[in-house]
Amino acid sequence: MLDYIISKYNFWMYIVLMMIGLYAMVGKRNFVKKLIGMNIFQSAIILFYVSTGVKAGATVPILSGHGHGHEVIEVAKYLNPLPHVLMLTAIVVSIATTGVALAILILIYRRYNTLEEDEILKIRKDAGV
Amino acid sequence: MKVLALISVIMTGALLIYGTEEMPDWGDPNSPASSHVSPGYIQEAIEKTATPNMVTAVLADYRGYDTLGETTVIFTAGIACVLMLRKKRKGEGERYA
Amino acid sequence: MAEQFAALIIVVPLICSFLVPVIGWWKKKLCYPWVVAVLVIPVIAALGVLNAVMTTGKFSYRLGGWAPPWGIEYALDYLSAFVLLIVSVISLIVAIHSKKSVEEELPEKTVPFYTLYLLLVTGLLGIVITGDVFNLFVFLEISSLSCYGLIAIGEEGAPIAAFNYVILGTIGACFYLLGIGYLYIATGSLNMADLSGILPNLYHSKVILVAFAFFTVGIMIKGALFPLHIWMPDAYSTAPSSVSALIAPLMTKVAAYVMIRIMFTIFQPHFSVEIVPVMPILGWLAVFAIFVGGIKALAQTDIKRMLVYILVAEVGYIVIGVSVANQIGLTGAILHIMNDAAMMACMFLVVGAVFYKTGTRNIYEMHYLNKKMPFTMAAFTITALSFCGIPPTCGFFSKWYLILGTIDAGQWVYAAALLGSSLINAVLFFRVIECAYFKPMQPAYANDGGETHLEIQRDEAPLSMLVPIIIMAAGVILLGLFSGNIISSIIQFAVPASF
Repeated sequence: MLDYIISKYNFWMYIVLMMIGLYAMVGKRNFVKKLIGMNIFQSAIILFYVSTGVKAGATVPILSGHGHGHEVIEVAKYLNPLPHVLMLTAIVVSIATTGVALAILILIYRRYNTLEEDEILKIRKDAGV
Repeated sequence: MKVLALISVIMTGALLIYGTEEMPDWGDPNSPASSHVSPGYIQEAIEKTATPNMVTAVLADYRGYDTLGETTVIFTAGIACVLMLRKKRKGEGERYA
Repeated sequence: MAEQFAALIIVVPLICSFLVPVIGWWKKKLCYPWVVAVLVIPVIAALGVLNAVMTTGKFSYRLGGWAPPWGIEYALDYLSAFVLLIVSVISLIVAIHSKKSVEEELPEKTVPFYTLYLLLVTGLLGIVITGDVFNLFVFLEISSLSCYGLIAIGEEGAPIAAFNYVILGTIGACFYLLGIGYLYIATGSLNMADLSGILPNLYHSKVILVAFAFFTVGIMIKGALFPLHIWMPDAYSTAPSSVSALIAPLMTKVAAYVMIRIMFTIFQPHFSVEIVPVMPILGWLAVFAIFVGGIKALAQTDIKRMLVYILVAEVGYIVIGVSVANQIGLTGAILHIMNDAAMMACMFLVVGAVFYKTGTRNIYEMHYLNKKMPFTMAAFTITALSFCGIPPTCGFFSKWYLILGTIDAGQWVYAAALLGSSLINAVLFFRVIECAYFKPMQPAYANDGGETHLEIQRDEAPLSMLVPIIIMAAGVILLGLFSGNIISSIIQFAVPASF
């Protein structure tokens, strides 16, 4: 049982973090809290991916001192580089989405002077929309 | 509304954890992710791309197209912010595009 | 040159979108001709690609010369070439139409608008053409970010709608990313062709099942299938007219294309139909989508919101065609992708022209439009007949195939839903036609001291709006007349062979 938990606990921790972020995105009523939830969700996915590339006892995937020598490179000694690459792109996408969402929030704030969803709905209903 | 959000979040989390049951163990060097495509990257990066950093070799050479897409994403976000936030300045006429 | 068409179709709009701010800084008036000239090239390239696929069969284009699965490749077969052509043609026609409405609604934002327009088209074309699941995510985010920006500059209530779309759209994209992650953990590959080779051994694994579930939910959010369509009515109806004319026909169809790719190319039909009971669930959700879309559309007075609820129902049609999972149903679904894109584009272009000329989108204020804008209303009537499924317009043929497909699968409720929705569409459009064509109770008399007569001038839409509308309306009829040819030469081969 303890073996099973040790072999999977990294995935479970990241899933719990993802769900915290998802709850904030869906359940909270303040727009900025939703945005922070989105950031938490995306960061947890990034951590999840990076943890899949781990190999026990391996080092970072950078060759040091090999130059152009044709020595045999042992695969089990280096980490898997592909999840790191995918996540570099995902980090950038996450930043870009946060930036665009913040710009939209500035537009909302200029118009309604508040960032609470309940108050904005009330303002719109009073205006007859 | 919050109860509904909590229930759907718990169901999603349970589905994800259900999926981890058959995943390879953490740190297993024989997992499918570590034995199908990435040995090719690790062994051949230095001779085909002359880059000792394998992550850079994959990012800029093998999957360079994804990096172009990522640069485009940043450009798109920048132009979207310009589109939304630029205010019309009085008395400036046609100085800006 | 012909071999490089597959690369040109993405690279040209991408590089030219980087050049739009430079050109706009120099001379603002040049943005519009530049965008129209640039968008002609993907149309030519898509025709070239379709020709190549039809003569030599499917092929793939390796980016940078790296062999898959280590590098990224484009996978060009009948389905992707077909959808590429649809996307490029419609984006060109909407771009031609957009000149006057952008001048009217967004006067000082022309340059960033056209930049994001080209980026959105690049993103959509990239989603269709790529053969690598992570590359699809990157292009999905390019098109989504442009969409968020373009929607947020609309009228009152647009920023809130755009923010809700940001939240839900990011949930969808992140679920898609989680699906890729689970798939990668179980197989180690990111290439679609490679995955379809590895996956059959793993069909009974829980990891693959969860990956499939997250793919499906993520694409359902992006494609606005009931009940995850709640972001769509506000977002599409408060956006500027040109923006709704571009995204309403295209974004949901590209999401439907991705769904067909995931269910039938990556995961073989054996998995999607027999092992996982997802088809009945999708079918019932689509039936609810048709009814909810139709009933909510009846309650609207704003014509654009009515059209968006009809769009919810149209997505339901395509998903019904996918869910019956037989040859005829899938043919109907792919044909409906083309027909619905044409019909929706024509409708939104008409609404954009009417809004430009009269300043209103309320159905009950659209009087005398048959005298003021005869050609526009003629196009509206033709497209309305197509929505109701009347031959020889294209809407009849796709509905015909869909109904045959549902009868073939024995799903009578789906067939009844399709027929009932035609009736609801008839009611919806005849409401508008009645108001526009026939005189109201209190007509606008010109009081001339005793003598009363009607004074309605002809005030047709400007030529840059009228020509695209007429082209699309002609297209609606021609696509219907030639649908037999289209099916036998293209769509028949796009359906996966194992049905």
